[in-house]
Amino acid sequence: MYRSLIFKEWIKTRRFILLSGVAFAALIAYIFLWLAQTSGSMGIVNLWETIISKEFSLVGHVKYLPLAVGLLLAVVQLAPEMQSKRLKLTLHLPMNETRIICTMLGYGLATLLMLFTLATLALVAGISVHFSREIALSNFLTALPWFLGGLQAYLLCAWICLEPVWRQRIFYAIPAACVLFSFYGSASPGAYVAYLPFMLFFIAASFFFSLHAAARFKDGEQ
Amino acid sequence: MSVIQCENITHYYGSKLIYEQLSFEVGEGKILGLLGKNGTGKTTIINILTGYLRPQSGVCRIFGEEMERLSPAAKSRIGLLLEGHIQHTYFNVEQIERFYSRFFPRWKRDAYYELLKKLNVTPTQKISTMSCGQRSQVALGLLFAQDPALLILDDFSMGLDPGYRRLFVEYLREYAAAENKTVFLTSHIIQDMELLIDDCIILDYGRILLHEPTAYILKNFRRFRFTATADVSAAGGGVLWNTEKIGHSWETYSFATLDEVRRELSKDGASIDALAEERLSLEDAFIGLTGKY
Repeated sequence: MYRSLIFKEWIKTRRFILLSGVAFAALIAYIFLWLAQTSGSMGIVNLWETIISKEFSLVGHVKYLPLAVGLLLAVVQLAPEMQSKRLKLTLHLPMNETRIICTMLGYGLATLLMLFTLATLALVAGISVHFSREIALSNFLTALPWFLGGLQAYLLCAWICLEPVWRQRIFYAIPAACVLFSFYGSASPGAYVAYLPFMLFFIAASFFFSLHAAARFKDGEQ
Repeated sequence: MSVIQCENITHYYGSKLIYEQLSFEVGEGKILGLLGKNGTGKTTIINILTGYLRPQSGVCRIFGEEMERLSPAAKSRIGLLLEGHIQHTYFNVEQIERFYSRFFPRWKRDAYYELLKKLNVTPTQKISTMSCGQRSQVALGLLFAQDPALLILDDFSMGLDPGYRRLFVEYLREYAAAENKTVFLTSHIIQDMELLIDDCIILDYGRILLHEPTAYILKNFRRFRFTATADVSAAGGGVLWNTEKIGHSWETYSFATLDEVRRELSKDGASIDALAEERLSLEDAFIGLTGKY
């Protein structure tokens, strides 16, 4: 039954996942082309110096892509469920309703984790070829909140999508936007390291918001 | 044995009363049609029954389980058709069968493909590209393959042309009779119901107007036309329904015999002439019971 539910989610999202993979690949390719071009024009030593002395980020171009992918995946996955209240059909399946929602969200999170992990590995591996481990780690820590922001965006957008009342959706969107802004404030390397546990806590907590919205849908709130 | 039991359901949308103390039961193997004008709460009852709406008070049980806490085992015995034959339209014909088949232990793949043979669709055709009639057959095929003990169908005739409506009704009637299925359905096209339903609940605003076997209504409920020398009371003493003057003649509806109707009409002293009774279709009976407005 779980496999069947995952099959449903895959059918809805497969094109978007492919498109997201292509977008990440294109952006990473662009970053490395830009690195090659910059190091060629200003010299690799000067580039090293700029990175170290001016805390220059090599991964800045990737900043908002995880956010966009997280938001859009939730829409692609859950908007068809809410259209014509198709979620009734899904929740009518002979499974525990909480497990159904958790499986759907778990699929989305697993998909994002896979995409983000591959993108991070490619970025870190690519940076490590030309730069020290410390610089690669610093860029990883810079990009980490942005990728976590993608997961957070997915869960908050899922919460808003599953909410059955439009007025309530707008009401939810305001705190959701505030939480997301907090993931994208500073681009200084390592600026968010101290806040990572809080970010993880926010992400874990917002998983339950969707369950609350689904329960409201089940009760016929409108 | 009752498959569906609803007890004292009261529900409001805001301050608007939808039902007050609504109670009914549906026995095993019965096909029950829920009829009512727009806005009387037919879909609301389906939503309450399937656990998608919590009423202000009262309880519904299906297979003895309360609607808000239906177990997966109970849900697997309930086939649900949503208004407008809503399905997961991002699937194609083959994918949707594969998706549902893993949830239901008694899944009958052949029943689905047997019904789909009649449609001019390919296995890889997406449901979103189908006509409403084709989608209705896919939905019906999935219900047959699920082989549930109870089918709940919300406005199954919505959007269907007469051919598809008839096809749907014939398949459903044959299937329900052969397999002793219980069916609870609503439709706004009452001609279709006449061919299908054993029992009939007619809803008025806020209450059940009538809950009787369809055969009883068709046999006993009549329209009476007459002329009168003076105005006739529209109240009808509980015997007459929707008495009204149309041009120079009158009409009323009743379960009573011709003589009983004449006695009732003459109570106010009016002279009743040319009193004649007419047998009714279910649609005419529905209008007789609920009124035209």
